Amino acid sequence: MTELLSQPEFRLALENAIKGREAKNASFSLAWANGELTREHFARWAENHYHYVGPFSDYLAYIYANTPESARGAKDFLLQNMYEEELSDVRHTDLLIRFAEACGTTRERVVDIENATAVTRGLQGWCYAIAMREHFVTATAALVVGLESQVPSIYRRQYPVLLEKYGFTEDETEFFDLHITADEIHGERGYQIVLEHATTPQLQQRCLQLVGHGAEARFSYTKALYDTYVMKPDTPVANPEPALA
Amino acid sequence: MPTIRFTTSDREVTFPDGDEVNLLRVAIRNDCGIPFKCASGNCGTDRVRVEAGSEHCVPPRRRERDRLGDLLGHGYRLACQTYVVGDVTVAWDPDQTEMELGSRAIDRLKQVWLTREDTA
Repeated sequence: MTELLSQPEFRLALENAIKGREAKNASFSLAWANGELTREHFARWAENHYHYVGPFSDYLAYIYANTPESARGAKDFLLQNMYEEELSDVRHTDLLIRFAEACGTTRERVVDIENATAVTRGLQGWCYAIAMREHFVTATAALVVGLESQVPSIYRRQYPVLLEKYGFTEDETEFFDLHITADEIHGERGYQIVLEHATTPQLQQRCLQLVGHGAEARFSYTKALYDTYVMKPDTPVANPEPALA
Repeated sequence: MPTIRFTTSDREVTFPDGDEVNLLRVAIRNDCGIPFKCASGNCGTDRVRVEAGSEHCVPPRRRERDRLGDLLGHGYRLACQTYVVGDVTVAWDPDQTEMELGSRAIDRLKQVWLTREDTA
């Protein structure tokens, strides 16, 4: 029988559940940070990324509905997170589409899921399933700790190269700048909620399992972008990308 | 190891040499009491006055410049937007709330609701 971990032990275990599976170390992320990709690759990334992050408020809304009134702090965090995604300023998906258009693709192509890989569609489905079916604390562990908390470490490597090597403007790349800081805070609040509300060994172990699964899912999604668009540029897709100017 | 001193709550937190840490994240993780609401540099609830060590804060980016304006010149930063690389001391008004600033969200909500006839 697994014992209940203390909060410091549990935090360390959560961090370790991500280690070795960080999306920042996936082939597409490394190629991006090293300046080895093209604007066409970024366009394909945006066409996929939209279908992973676009429904993020939907995922959180399912968790919100499953969170009891007694966890008011967690509910407020989820609602604030949704509000920031959709209404507090420019809608985050619109920032992503702004970047996509700067890369030469179109809003129509971005929102068309036929342009996403099967792995991207799988990641989206996993997020929906976890949000709908899991206890609020294990779902928060999966989506906020396992996925969202990784964002700053990924974009802090990718953002500078967009400005310095590819000549994108601050306006075109606001999606990245915004998430570097916002997801630092979202990730930390996610850790707090999980540490506070995973109060049984079973909940703690399920959190650890799903953080690992989340990290694996994001790693696989990112690697699949490299395999599909960089390693095998001739891989057929439903809607072949248009020639870019 | 560098130290962040949170004067208002009388707390100190150290972090490893060579790290670049987000000020609000450190405050949240260690219960240092900086008030906050959003995490996007929009609301300004987490503004702090840097009492020492401003040279150890990374320069403000566009979002923080837009939100703080002249306050930047008076030593203020937004904790959520500020990364720290060395010793820093910060303070704040514990009762402060969000800044009175124009908001695209409010403009959008006004556009939705105030342009419709009240048929109730």
